[in-house]
Amino acid sequence: MFLNDWLITPLRVIWDDWRARVGGIIILLYVLMGTIGVVLISEPRPGDGPRLIRPFQDWAHPLGTDINGNDLFAQTVHATPPMLEMIVAGAVFTTALAMVVGTLSGYKGGIVDRLLMTFTDILLTIPGLPLVIVLALVLDPRQPWVVGVILTINAWAGLARAIRSQVLTIREEAYIEAARLMGISTWRILLKDITPSLMPYVLVNFVNAARTVVFASVALYFLGILPDTFLNWGVMMNYAYSVGGALYTSGTAHWLFVPLMTIVVLSFGLILFAQGTDRVFNPRVRARHASQDDLEPGEDDMSGEVATQIRG
Amino acid sequence: MTEPEPTTTKMGRPVFEVEGASVTYDMDRGVSRVLDDATIDIFEEEILGVVGESGSGKSMFASSLLNAVPPPGTLDGEIRYHRDGEVIDLLGLSPEQLRRVRWEDVAMVFQGAQSSFNPTISIRRHFEETLEAHEYDIENGLEHARQLLADLYLDPERVLGSYPHELSGGMQQRALIALSLVLEPDVLVMDEPTAALDLLMQRSILSLLENVKEKYELTVVFITHDLPLVAGLADRLAVMYSFKFVEIGRAEDVFSNPKHPYTRALLNAIPNLDTPRSRMHPIEGSAPDPVNVPTGCSYHPRCPLADEQCEAAEPPLAETTDKHHAACYYWEEAMEEIELSIESDEPAVDDTVVGRQSDEPVVSVDAVDVHFEQGGGGLFGFFSDPDTVHAVDDANLEIYENDVVALVGESGCGKTTLGKAIIAAQRPTNGTVRYRGQDIWGTRDGRVDGEIPWEQIRRSLQMIHQDPGSSLNSHRKIKSSLEDPLRRWHPNMDPGDREERILGMLEYTGMSPPTDYALRYPHQLSGGEKQRVALIRALLMNPDVILADEAVSALDVSLRLEMMDLMLELQDAFDTSYVFISHNLSNARYFAGNADGRIGVMYLGELVELGPVDEVIDEPLHPYTKVLKWATDDMELSDRIEDPPIRGIDIPDPVNPPAGCRFHTRCPEARTVCREESPSLDEAVSAHPTACFREYPMEHPYWDSEPVDDAEETVTGDPIDAG
Ligand code: SF4
Ligand code: SF4
Repeated sequence: MFLNDWLITPLRVIWDDWRARVGGIIILLYVLMGTIGVVLISEPRPGDGPRLIRPFQDWAHPLGTDINGNDLFAQTVHATPPMLEMIVAGAVFTTALAMVVGTLSGYKGGIVDRLLMTFTDILLTIPGLPLVIVLALVLDPRQPWVVGVILTINAWAGLARAIRSQVLTIREEAYIEAARLMGISTWRILLKDITPSLMPYVLVNFVNAARTVVFASVALYFLGILPDTFLNWGVMMNYAYSVGGALYTSGTAHWLFVPLMTIVVLSFGLILFAQGTDRVFNPRVRARHASQDDLEPGEDDMSGEVATQIRG
Repeated sequence: MTEPEPTTTKMGRPVFEVEGASVTYDMDRGVSRVLDDATIDIFEEEILGVVGESGSGKSMFASSLLNAVPPPGTLDGEIRYHRDGEVIDLLGLSPEQLRRVRWEDVAMVFQGAQSSFNPTISIRRHFEETLEAHEYDIENGLEHARQLLADLYLDPERVLGSYPHELSGGMQQRALIALSLVLEPDVLVMDEPTAALDLLMQRSILSLLENVKEKYELTVVFITHDLPLVAGLADRLAVMYSFKFVEIGRAEDVFSNPKHPYTRALLNAIPNLDTPRSRMHPIEGSAPDPVNVPTGCSYHPRCPLADEQCEAAEPPLAETTDKHHAACYYWEEAMEEIELSIESDEPAVDDTVVGRQSDEPVVSVDAVDVHFEQGGGGLFGFFSDPDTVHAVDDANLEIYENDVVALVGESGCGKTTLGKAIIAAQRPTNGTVRYRGQDIWGTRDGRVDGEIPWEQIRRSLQMIHQDPGSSLNSHRKIKSSLEDPLRRWHPNMDPGDREERILGMLEYTGMSPPTDYALRYPHQLSGGEKQRVALIRALLMNPDVILADEAVSALDVSLRLEMMDLMLELQDAFDTSYVFISHNLSNARYFAGNADGRIGVMYLGELVELGPVDEVIDEPLHPYTKVLKWATDDMELSDRIEDPPIRGIDIPDPVNPPAGCRFHTRCPEARTVCREESPSLDEAVSAHPTACFREYPMEHPYWDSEPVDDAEETVTGDPIDAG
């Protein structure tokens, strides 16, 4: 029962949508790369191979090597775990904080709302990028998760505001009032009655936050604002550009291109996944998938629109 | 009632000839036939009422008349439209020709004006765009629009200059009718045009519609689930059941002498003001599924007269007596055996239910005011300018155990707010609400140290909401929603017991198999079923008082009785009291009357009359109650729709309620004193107190005062949301 509701049905729904399927597979590949990949592929070392081999020339170095003979594929793979850690940390931080602040403020209203929103608004007025740069320079973060949090330090504020305004609408629904009159605790109402309606929106924003972290980190590493402590796609690009002159030297272009593609494909996978999965939270779709094997005559399995029109 | 009136017997030339029209949808489960072989002629300048429950195919019939069936449905058959002697085959038109026929020849008005208007542009712009799109002259067109608006009792300039949201629901709906008539169509198709409105507003619009129809020589097709509502308006009635027409005839014939067993059962299932309550019965069983329509006569599973022939072959829609068609083999028997509640000869005694009401009130409301600040975030917007809405003023009311109090009034009269104040869902601005003698809000704030803890008060006062669509969380299965109260109040209950309780309640309320229903999501339930789940959820709390806020108004008229019976039945089992809120006097009469309760009439935030059900219904004292009764009294066909006995259709703005008696701007009996002095409702005076000077002792200055001059009063009210 539990398994069916929380795992099998959502998976079925996801599998049913090609965008979610493709996006999911891409994300899964990156996760595999960051877990099994690092075990299978040995760490890159200077002088592993000849310098600046182009991709797809030498199968010992499928994606080629950089100016020091470092294998680019190995570099990409070994940069994945810290990158993933950073991305997840940033996205979780943003959405979790925004959810808590947004739902609480929207649902509770009154003094709680005003305090939380004043704080949020102050954060919103501080320009994002300069703040991140200043923080990065001052704190000189070395752990990937700290970097992730710093990069999204005020991205949650806008999301919290948006969530709050949605909660303000949901709060007026009769079932919320009924729950309140039944004496259900605030936390339970937020968790059981309000959050599910917000999920599609939150999911999209989770993915957006993840992409923000990818791009921002790459940009800041590329610009050298973040310390190059761990292997990183941004750092790779930085070297390709500054050491290899990849933008104007065709011989080193692939050095820049490999991490770039890695980022683009991941971002693409995230977008597809987010677009495809909001259906998981649609009860009409869920009901149809859950009842695939026990469909009863008389059950409403018409698509919602037609059903309403016919009923109307 | 027997002499045929000339207007109703007139049958001119046909405008529409519909022959064998069917609409089908291909679905996974099979072909769904949502309009089955409809054949009917619609004549010039008649009003045809098409009546059916939700899911009877009546909306499909409306769409078919415009060849506008929502995709992917397919429409077959023949639909011919006559325009000045020319015959047009509607199904053979090009999209462009069709576009011209829609609106210019045949216009349509749907339910819910809000969604038909674009909220970002003014009403004037709506008219202009419609005229432009059809290449009409804008100046002349707007002139015509003004005329139409005035005919519908609207102030043309004010309405044209407004945005949709600035108008009340009733005004929007009238503006929409004007908009659909601006291109001077010949036929107006209306699909539940008034369903979202108050009864009084519905009746007022209907009486205006009749005038407009005469003036502009329109043919009107009026589609509704509410048979009594159109009976007085329509010339002919066509009853639909299970996607077919089952009875067609002159309105008075169908209404007073229905021949199809379904129509007869339907009439007995509709609450009204005259029939003894004990003779109203819901129809057994439920409407068929479009994919699995029963063989033969589709009504046979519910029909008391059904035999093998009915199961085997479908009865044709045949002429029975003069121009009265019915699709039933046994219509003659039906007329004898299925007795109509209105014409039964037995003496109309309602066995007075002996109330088991207590001496001490459960909840008492003492001098309660509820005021809202309008604009900026409702209760919390203290930055906005203080526009105070007087939702409730100086209300006094006591609810006893096993009591039923029905609060009736138009939208915006404060009945819901007062109801919420009673169950402590709304904090009053002034005054006290007590639960068994203990101040509720004082307990809540810790100011009063009574014996009863706040938790218990909270648990004892519950609510069922109006809109079945929003009363359950669409993301949670029925079982999960119903578990909430049990988890909260019986945290140690064994999950198995909990499930058993829930399944038991589902089964008891007629949702079987319960295990199947428990696992459904709300969208897989009908409106009536959702309301029953909401009722179960409230009852699982074991409350003392349940506020039922228009709990049956969103349901088809034919399903209301069933829901009310269930609520009353459960009242006995659970020992609760109900505060029943309704804009419909007949629902209030049925519900409160069966429990020996009271009816309270509210107008603009004030209780104006309070008394035992039968007294209030049979001898209403307050002029406003009389108006409400007029709006409800629709079982009398003899008096056709007349002008409402009220001055002005729209309610004044509750931000600035009129001085003196609040009803004086619309009261037909108002005299000059009523403008200055306000009457009060004093329970000490009688058991049926009324806030009107006319009910005061003779020497009141009212009787020496001059009647107010109508010319000084404005006809239209101020914009308030009466949706
Ligand atoms: S045909 Fe038979 S089943 Fe159908 S309504 Fe008539 S008597 Fe009833
Ligand atoms: S007091 Fe006057 S205005 Fe008010 S209801 Fe009575 S007669 Fe009408």
